[in-house]
Amino acid sequence: MDYFEVFGLGRILGLDLVALEKTFHELSRKYHPDYFSTAAPAEKTKAVRMTALLNDAYRTLRHPVRRVEYLLSLYGFKSDGSKVPQTLLMEVFEINEQLEEVKAGRASIEEIDSLRAQIREKRERFDSELQKATLEWDELMKSRAPEEKRKQHLTRLAEILSESSYIRNLESELE
Amino acid sequence: MPKIVGIDLGTTNSLVAIVEDGTPRVIAGTDGSMLVPSVIYFDEGGQVSVGNSAKAKMVEKPKHTVFSIKRFMGKGIEDVRQDLPLLPFEVSQESEHIIRLKVFGRDYTPPELSAFILRELKRNAEAALGEEIKNAVITVPAYFNDAQRQATKDAGRIAGLDVLRIVNEPTAASLAYGLDKRNQGTIAVYDFGGGTFDISILKLSDGIFEVRSTSGDTHLGGDDIDERLIRLVLHEAGGQEAGGQAAAAIPAIRKAVNKAKEDLSSGERAEIAIDTLNYKRTLTREEFNKLIDPIVERTLKPCRQALQDAGLKPSEIDEVVMVGGSTRIPLVRQRVQELFERVPHTELNPDEVVALGAAVQADILAGGQRGMLLLDVTPLSLGIETMGGVISKIIPRNSTIPASATEMYTTFIDGQTNVKIHVLQGERELVKDCRSLAEFDLKDIPPMTAGMPRIEVKFLIDADGILSVSAQEQRTSKYQSIEVKPTYGLTDEQVEQMILESFEYAETDIEARLVIEARNEAETVLNATMKGVADEPYANLSEEEKAEIGSAVKNLRELMKANNHQQIRDAIERLSNATMRLAELIMNVAISKALKDKRVKEIENE
Repeated sequence: MDYFEVFGLGRILGLDLVALEKTFHELSRKYHPDYFSTAAPAEKTKAVRMTALLNDAYRTLRHPVRRVEYLLSLYGFKSDGSKVPQTLLMEVFEINEQLEEVKAGRASIEEIDSLRAQIREKRERFDSELQKATLEWDELMKSRAPEEKRKQHLTRLAEILSESSYIRNLESELE
Repeated sequence: MPKIVGIDLGTTNSLVAIVEDGTPRVIAGTDGSMLVPSVIYFDEGGQVSVGNSAKAKMVEKPKHTVFSIKRFMGKGIEDVRQDLPLLPFEVSQESEHIIRLKVFGRDYTPPELSAFILRELKRNAEAALGEEIKNAVITVPAYFNDAQRQATKDAGRIAGLDVLRIVNEPTAASLAYGLDKRNQGTIAVYDFGGGTFDISILKLSDGIFEVRSTSGDTHLGGDDIDERLIRLVLHEAGGQEAGGQAAAAIPAIRKAVNKAKEDLSSGERAEIAIDTLNYKRTLTREEFNKLIDPIVERTLKPCRQALQDAGLKPSEIDEVVMVGGSTRIPLVRQRVQELFERVPHTELNPDEVVALGAAVQADILAGGQRGMLLLDVTPLSLGIETMGGVISKIIPRNSTIPASATEMYTTFIDGQTNVKIHVLQGERELVKDCRSLAEFDLKDIPPMTAGMPRIEVKFLIDADGILSVSAQEQRTSKYQSIEVKPTYGLTDEQVEQMILESFEYAETDIEARLVIEARNEAETVLNATMKGVADEPYANLSEEEKAEIGSAVKNLRELMKANNHQQIRDAIERLSNATMRLAELIMNVAISKALKDKRVKEIENE
């Protein structure tokens, strides 16, 4: 059972978080090991495993980025936020240099602020691109687009994700 | 359905509670007090006592009185080295991975020592409820790591308890506060106890208590405040030159500063007097606040972290609940109020609220309460060691538990049959900066070309916050046998051994009980005899009879001091026999007097 199936959902990315939480609570009441403490050991084990799966699924799906990462992993894509995506190489070269200055303690407050603004601007750009791409994915799923087309879109999604998570890492590094 | 009790195994005090007719209540000990001080006293005769009577020995017999053992749970010697100079305990040489305290030449691990406290609570509950208690829910600080939780569970097993759940203290407190009555809301529980600090942020909705984030410090509590005050007194009482004498006075200083600390929660000034050091001073609230300010400040950092992790601003917290004895300190209340911008709840006794909550959780497990459900989180990220001493995080902190993660492993050498997995807890990137949890050794992998085996390893954190690992080779579907080497904990075999050894204590416990009962009966018999000897008919006894009574009394008084219940019983019987005729005579007199009274009445009535 994949995480989407745990919640009775198809593999779509635009999720209603309020509804997701409601289902999470309902399923917790159904499976939580606290309700099986006097049950047979096999049933107890099942309750722990089922609840662990439910919790793993909720933790992943409620988070917009982890949700995309997970979807990609279902199709065999691996994400790695530490490598610089090829497409970003030129763009972040300068940012990285400035970040080194900050780390070495040679940057002024103004320089740090300007760097922070630069990174945020990039992150917001990638975030909105990611947002757009997820909506497109849901459209493809709804219109039952051919597999070839979906695969293509996943590749694109993986690219944007790796770019946005790279920027996100830079941002947390700065903080 | 057998009863399940809730236990708060605290650094300073421990309590046991139960839900009856839907209401939780704390069960008092035989001395009538709700709080059982978490103090264990070993006497020369091998008897162990726990609670107020043990606490009374702290100054007189510091080497044989163990306290604050919770601070040592799941720890190695390096973790507590800084505390040791002020503690009277003798630490065994073999304490690298598990601290062992030496008392009368015997080593005790923290789970064994905690088991003495649990046994006392178990007995108290059994005496009050009139039935054997086998099942318990035990609370731990939310920020306890895997080893500390496991050590607590081991303590329960050694004490003969089936620990059905380990519950986090702040979460338990929120249950006791009956905050479920408000249907929605976000609450922060600030739990500052004797040895540990926790902050948990929960979201409530329709009976579901969902922890959003937790943070804390398992080595920050009232003990640290005491320690600061002890150092102040040592410094002022003559510093280095008086070292030897001052060091010997530490137990007395501890007692005095603890009293002063408590006095300052309501008063503006307190006295500290140490007779043996000829030391006396007044401590004002202002001086005290200045001294403890850095400690209180240390509790605020985890609060900010927890807020950040939950994605909340202080103003978004609807209620703040105060738990733990150290929240009685006015400065603590003031600081918490400033941080969260609201007056914290202090209605419930901060010493009892965790035990009451543990009882509520026990009731949920027993099926009594179906409306409430706790969804707690793991306080620390779980990671595995990868190449170059770097950690790969597989379950992030603040994940709702139970939680799991799956990793694939393979071999690096042809025919390799073992794979080692090193599991750690912590937030840092490098192995050396995190807490090693255990090494799992996957064995009997079918020999294949390097890289061929596909071993799926599943890491599961259960509802107690304790990790288990299972592994399956994908090609052969064979479950791998795993050998677990806990870094800071006891192996299953060691716990089994301790359970066996604890039966020895169970026997001495029974013996101690029999002795107490026999002594009580001896008291009664002696009192009756003294009354009889003072009575008129005593004069009618022969000289031999009088001599025998005298000798039997002396014999009983002598044997009462010993710890052998059979000898006391024999002496009681000898005295009973000696006083038999006296008893008859007194009886006769009483009867004839009664008859006479009756006759007088009859005559009067006529």
